[in-house]
Amino acid sequence: MSQKKRRARCERRAAQRAARSGRGTLAMLTTSALALIPGLAQRAAAQSRENNWSIAYGYSMYSEASLPASKISAGSRERYDIDTHAFKLAAPIGGHISLGLDVTYEKMTGASPWLIQSDLSGDPVVVMTGASIEDARTDVLASVTYIGEKSRTTLSGGASMEDDYTAINFGFGREKDFNQKATTFSWGIGFSTDEIDPNDTSFNPDPTKHHKKTGTFSLGFAQVIDRASVAQSSLTLQYADGFLSDPYKLVSAGGINREDIRPGTRTQVSWLTRYRRHFERVHGSLHGDYQFSWDTWDVKAHVVELGWHQELFELLSLAPSLRYYTQSQAKFYAPYFALGLPAERDASSDYRLSPYGALSFKLRADLSLADWLRVPEARVGVQYERYMSGKEFALGSISRENPALVDFSVLMVTLKTGF
Amino acid sequence: MKPLHVALLLGLSALASACQHVDPWERNLLARPDMAWETDEIAATQEQHTYFSKEAAMPGGGVGGGGCGCN
Amino acid sequence: MTPRFLRALLPLAVALTASASFALDEGDRAPDFQARSVVGDAEVVLHEMRGKVVLVDFWASWCAPCNAAMPQLEKLSKEFPSDQFVVLGVNVDKKLADARRALEKRPVTYPNASDPTGMLPKRFGLQTMPTSYLIDQDGVVRLVHRGFRNGDIDELREQVQKLLDKKKGRP
Repeated sequence: MSQKKRRARCERRAAQRAARSGRGTLAMLTTSALALIPGLAQRAAAQSRENNWSIAYGYSMYSEASLPASKISAGSRERYDIDTHAFKLAAPIGGHISLGLDVTYEKMTGASPWLIQSDLSGDPVVVMTGASIEDARTDVLASVTYIGEKSRTTLSGGASMEDDYTAINFGFGREKDFNQKATTFSWGIGFSTDEIDPNDTSFNPDPTKHHKKTGTFSLGFAQVIDRASVAQSSLTLQYADGFLSDPYKLVSAGGINREDIRPGTRTQVSWLTRYRRHFERVHGSLHGDYQFSWDTWDVKAHVVELGWHQELFELLSLAPSLRYYTQSQAKFYAPYFALGLPAERDASSDYRLSPYGALSFKLRADLSLADWLRVPEARVGVQYERYMSGKEFALGSISRENPALVDFSVLMVTLKTGF
Repeated sequence: MKPLHVALLLGLSALASACQHVDPWERNLLARPDMAWETDEIAATQEQHTYFSKEAAMPGGGVGGGGCGCN
Repeated sequence: MTPRFLRALLPLAVALTASASFALDEGDRAPDFQARSVVGDAEVVLHEMRGKVVLVDFWASWCAPCNAAMPQLEKLSKEFPSDQFVVLGVNVDKKLADARRALEKRPVTYPNASDPTGMLPKRFGLQTMPTSYLIDQDGVVRLVHRGFRNGDIDELREQVQKLLDKKKGRP
């Protein structure tokens, strides 16, 4: 049996062992950001202007497309399925305080890319983990907003918990209105501290706990342009320090599988601009968003989102939208490294750091129930999104697409009511 | 960075002067639910979370403002 | 920061700080007005209410806090004798149909004037929606109440009582 085939068989067996152990690779790197995602303080502040309590529930079914056999060398072809339940409560207390509570519970099953190898013709193929992995994540975020005559101040705190991951975060945000509320300035800061405790030794022989600290600052303004249009622009800066790698991923370098190692710090800057314009005669509104992202890992990304919201029969709204995304690669990324690497050199074959583009189509329908139920803000919404990624969507040409790039679809239902 | 500062400021000034004054009682169109920055907060948070976990870009912030300007 | 930088900031600063040149304040005489009623054909005339305490409340069907305030204002209007205190709504919807539909959903017994052209809020120098103006028996504005939040109705009630007591000569 050739060297290559023997290695492939070893890896397949490792993947099967991992599958039997059934523990988590999941969502680890994603969880800490939930509370730090800028804009949450602003959403809390916006809801605080209402005088009634409001509660909302959303259920989402996320499903990744399975990989074609040609892209896999071992492991399961099936990928993640994630079911999420999200609750959101806003309660006005007295005349000047508003409390907010967000709870999210997520259950994940499926396989994820473990490492990328070169196949016999030099094309990258992915070794997946086994399919029986299951994990759950709970996220809680509480906020209190003080409402002044022309300003809103929000303080928030939250935690994110997963079997091998815990994160705590704090945030502070302030909004101030000018020009009879035609102009709004807003700024916010956030801080998060995360601990990763990789307890699944079949994927990662090193059971050390890892820590990460992240700080975020954002600044923005919104402006009413005329009776029918508004725009906003904001800048967000994030600095992360600590363990930023993924302990459940490996990198193939010179034929040997070694750890995925990433720099110990990362600075990211993001500039988001949004525009909304209503067209009275057709009862519809145009939504346009553009975001540019830059970071010290050399990743540059653009996001363009265009949507049309059409009002039908007064209570129903239909909104199709298109989102285009493109990113360049991290400087230490390669699908695999043909030559060996020094032990401590940064290297990753994570598809999330690879160059690619993505196009997604989304359709949303909303039905207002406020009049029928005689309660404020009551409505139900359904949303479907289909996301496709690949080198064909990217700006610029890409020589080798990461075989683990993901396509997914999401179906979401949300209910909201005031009381 | 200096040319960028000037460009940004000129852009902001231009925006501020190009904007028409909208009286507080003329904000009926801006108060529409389809003119909100996000139609559904839960959906928006979920989406942001999904994109953040699949893409390298950091999700941008958001600002309040716009809308009916009530309260 | 160079002087050139600061000078470039000037037009922005001016644009940001410029606000409506006029706003009716406490102590000013309330502008008299006459407007068509939202429901029916009657005219709503402010100076006909001279001698009573009047709460002029600007509202619109698209303003959620305005809608939340209306049932509370309706209750307030019944708490005092109608020959001493009256609530007068001024609706600023561009379409009368929207105002009528809002009143069907939240019926009130106090009169509501319709002003689709925005002439009245301009004369009052309205700064935000909703705003209520509490006018005393002599036609002078005594309170400008901006926004409407939970608990505000108590403050309004207190102020109405104070004005009624003052007229009766009570301390």
